[in-house]
Amino acid sequence: MHDPSALVWIPLLPLLGALVCGLFGPRLGRANVNLVACAAVAGAFALALLAFVSVAGGPAITWAATWFAVGRIHIGAGLLVDRLSGLLLLVVTGIGFLIHVYSTGYMADDPGHWRYFAYLNLFVGSMLILVLADNLVLLFVGWEGVGLCSYLLIGFWYDDAAKASAGRKAFVVNRIGDFGFGLAVFALLALFGTVEFRSIAAELARAAPAEMLNQGLFAGWHLSAALTLIALLFVLGVTGKSAQIPLYVWLPDAMAGPTPVSALIHAATMVTAGVYLMCRLSFLFAFAPAALTVVACIGAATAIFAAAIAFAQNDIKKVLAYSTVSQLGYMVLAVGVGAFWAAIFHLITHACFKALLFLGSGSVIHGLGGEQDMRQMGGLGRRLRHTAIAFGVATVAITGVLPISGFFSKDAILGAALGSENRFAPWLPAALYGVGLAAALGTAFYMWRLWALTFAGQPRSPAAEHAHESPASMTVPDDVLAFLSIVTLALGLPLMGHEPFLKTFLDPIFGAATNTLLTSAVAPASELGTPWALYAVAIAVAWAGYALAYWLYQGGARGVPARLAAAFPPGYRLIANKFYVDEIYQAVIVKPLWGLARTLWRLLDQGLIDLVIVRGSAWVVATISAYVLKPLQNGDVQRYAAVMAIGATALLWWVLR
Amino acid sequence: MVAPGQYLVVAALLFGLGFLGVMVRRNALTIFMSIELMLNAANLTFLTFARHPLHGAPSDGGNAIAFFVIAVAAAEAAVGLAVVIAVFRSRGSINVDELRSLRG
Repeated sequence: MHDPSALVWIPLLPLLGALVCGLFGPRLGRANVNLVACAAVAGAFALALLAFVSVAGGPAITWAATWFAVGRIHIGAGLLVDRLSGLLLLVVTGIGFLIHVYSTGYMADDPGHWRYFAYLNLFVGSMLILVLADNLVLLFVGWEGVGLCSYLLIGFWYDDAAKASAGRKAFVVNRIGDFGFGLAVFALLALFGTVEFRSIAAELARAAPAEMLNQGLFAGWHLSAALTLIALLFVLGVTGKSAQIPLYVWLPDAMAGPTPVSALIHAATMVTAGVYLMCRLSFLFAFAPAALTVVACIGAATAIFAAAIAFAQNDIKKVLAYSTVSQLGYMVLAVGVGAFWAAIFHLITHACFKALLFLGSGSVIHGLGGEQDMRQMGGLGRRLRHTAIAFGVATVAITGVLPISGFFSKDAILGAALGSENRFAPWLPAALYGVGLAAALGTAFYMWRLWALTFAGQPRSPAAEHAHESPASMTVPDDVLAFLSIVTLALGLPLMGHEPFLKTFLDPIFGAATNTLLTSAVAPASELGTPWALYAVAIAVAWAGYALAYWLYQGGARGVPARLAAAFPPGYRLIANKFYVDEIYQAVIVKPLWGLARTLWRLLDQGLIDLVIVRGSAWVVATISAYVLKPLQNGDVQRYAAVMAIGATALLWWVLR
Repeated sequence: MVAPGQYLVVAALLFGLGFLGVMVRRNALTIFMSIELMLNAANLTFLTFARHPLHGAPSDGGNAIAFFVIAVAAAEAAVGLAVVIAVFRSRGSINVDELRSLRG
């Protein structure tokens, strides 16, 4: 790609597609809307491929533009493709295209077909802005854009109050995170006067962390303290967008949207934006080891917590949703231990196999006429053979029973966690590894439970007996994703030198951060090699999870889960009700806010504004009119003349006196 | 030679008569004529001070204003008479005591 201005077309094509579908959709007809939407994303994919090939073998491509300049603050609208954003471009446009194709089948009979594709194209465009932005403000535009599309698509079937409310919940919870993001951007602006990634990196490369700041917002702070605060504010944004504790609650509810949306937005791309942000800002996070430690703890806690909730979910999409939260926890954990490349590795492999899992579950739901409860499924392996094979590949990938993509990426994260050092708490790396391993066991268990309940065994409902396979537009994307779920394992192989390929490939991006970290309180694992012992442990854990799930749901102990649930009702209820987190938030945060809002409504809206200001002012005017002004205006012309004469006389007296 | 003070006395008398007419008469046409009297009283004052200014030499400023007032009075009379005729046509009376429909 010789002309950097061609980059502009990568986000512009889907945005134009959204415009065309949104404005002319009803008149174009379904086939044309399908064509426009898919072609827009395919075009973006082709350009992204060109850009990626160019940066893989050469320097980064940049395209500079000014958005606005106020005083000495200059905000650009520049685009940047380096190896990191290039990879993400491929993921977003590639998987985005497959899911567009899948959607043409899945949404074929929906009355809001054109609206759906307008939103979906708008999402891809926003996500590409997010990925391509060379500064934080433009990135924020994409960040908010994908949040908007997420809201629109979760509440796509808006005449269902529960679904509309799920969309609202996602929007509001994300708003809390965006608040942190916004503050962090302003703080960076106050600190460095720029929001551009490479300018910030250059400033940081010159700075000494222990330096005392003597002017501006952070006067009297150490630079490292200011950076830690900024990093923590970014982490708040990340917990919102990437569904981490404490703001993960919106993602399971987001499953109210159409299933391809869950695959694209709430599994493969948008929710990984937080991970991408932290990797993009790796040079900044490297100066904030305390924040990284927090990040690692949040990630590990989310991974195990969400996996535990997934044990007792019966809705196939809810299991996958908690699985997504858990896998995002792994990525965040990887960032927290300084293994940025492993986070990106897992991001890519997860995008492939989790998109596939969601698309597969979509085929299942489609085939069963809208049924999502796994207790009504069973025996679908024979009826939906095509879907079952693809789904099986993805399940193998996520659980890691065989060494394909997910095995390598998860193991890269666990190895990086174990090999890292933390001077705040020397025991932390081992603890993180242990928690990660437990979450891996949980992952294997709930995924094979899902498999056993859905595809294995005998049909448990009439719908499952008469399930039908999906059209080719839905199964072919599954096949492509299954293929990708296998081959992305190559990214983790030592193809160049003795380190995993992706680590070497991304070294120009993360090298600076790694070097900074090596001398800080959180040192990343230095030498990875091929950790055979870790591989052995990981694969043993995966098989243990598989065996447990097989034994409990397919094998000899099929009555055991029900008996366990009956034997420990409080424990079962705790997990089945998702640890009551939603209820706790409801009681601790939402209810008091409601109360506050109600009080303010009564006092300020109804009392002050309605009663005193609006009605009171009207009452004053009416009273004065009735008792003072009305008698004056009696209609007698001569009285008016007399009053005027008196007034004129008084004026004359006042002037001449 | 008449002293300027005498002109002013006449003007004041005229103005007072006009004002009295406006205040006490009920016929709209009479009120109009009274207003004309007041305007002419003001004109007389202007002309007096044009001829005998308090400071400096006589000038034509007061004369000009007198002509101006005559022109305005003519226009006002035309509009006013039109209004009176219109009122008479619709109400059959030009007694201002009976014209009270604008009472608040």
